[in-house]
Amino acid sequence: MRTRGPAILTIEYHVIISSHMQRRPPERNRPSRRPDDLEPVWRALANATRREILDLLSEGPLPTGELADAVPNLSRFAVMQHLRVLEEGGLVIRRKDGRRTVNHLNAAPIQLIHDRWVSRWWT
Amino acid sequence: MPDAAQLAPVIVSVDIHVPIRAVWDEITKTGQIQRAIYNTVLECDLRPGARLRYYSLDKKRVFVVGEVLEVTPPRMFKHTYHFMMNGVEPPTTVTWELAEIAGGTRVTLTHEGFTAAHKAADKQAAGWREIVGLLKAELETGTLPLKTRLMYGMMGATMFMLPKTTKVAEVERAGF
Repeated sequence: MRTRGPAILTIEYHVIISSHMQRRPPERNRPSRRPDDLEPVWRALANATRREILDLLSEGPLPTGELADAVPNLSRFAVMQHLRVLEEGGLVIRRKDGRRTVNHLNAAPIQLIHDRWVSRWWT
Repeated sequence: MPDAAQLAPVIVSVDIHVPIRAVWDEITKTGQIQRAIYNTVLECDLRPGARLRYYSLDKKRVFVVGEVLEVTPPRMFKHTYHFMMNGVEPPTTVTWELAEIAGGTRVTLTHEGFTAAHKAADKQAAGWREIVGLLKAELETGTLPLKTRLMYGMMGATMFMLPKTTKVAEVERAGF
């Protein structure tokens, strides 16, 4: 097995084997590395206004009206267009709450991005 | 007495490139290790009113106790949720919603009903994010990330450090 980290990895390999685990897969089989998987996410993130909307929603869910008011210089219609792209990227989930629509940030795609490049070992 | 103010629900969602039935069967399988849910074992008759428990592998600990509210295969599974790691708290509600999309299944997990009486709703959010990510990996590739496998490998040795409220005897004594 390739040693890419500290020598302790060889000890942990035995722990893995003895705990009903499967062998390590080839790198390119990781879900988040498949070609088109995150494409709608990149598209959603590639816009400053949409990133600003995510900033607002990361503080907590917001109804569309309040969200639009919190984005300066943009019509409600324009904000809704951005929300749609965010929804297509899976970053925003809309839920009806009575008569209004509440927008929730879905951080799971962000977690997948993080897992893709950041956390391979313990953190 | 009025309900305590409800905090924002946790909602996470991933798209998994396998058929909806495969996802449903995985999340509702009982008596077997759920590798996407921290290697726990679900014991539950899948019908409204039935008791639900997520056990540790060795069946000596119970992490979640609840009651089934709704089961609509393969689309919706809803149950109450007492997280025994936090001691005795009022129940919250977990809803799994599966929807067919082009190329696979959209999985949306909602965990709601948090009030000031609950510990660490943000930790629950992180946990569910991890769970749906692992579910995706498990169903699409059959393997989990290295750090998860390392964590699972260590879990057996650190089981003794878990709160007493997760011991089966304590759970029974608490009336669950």
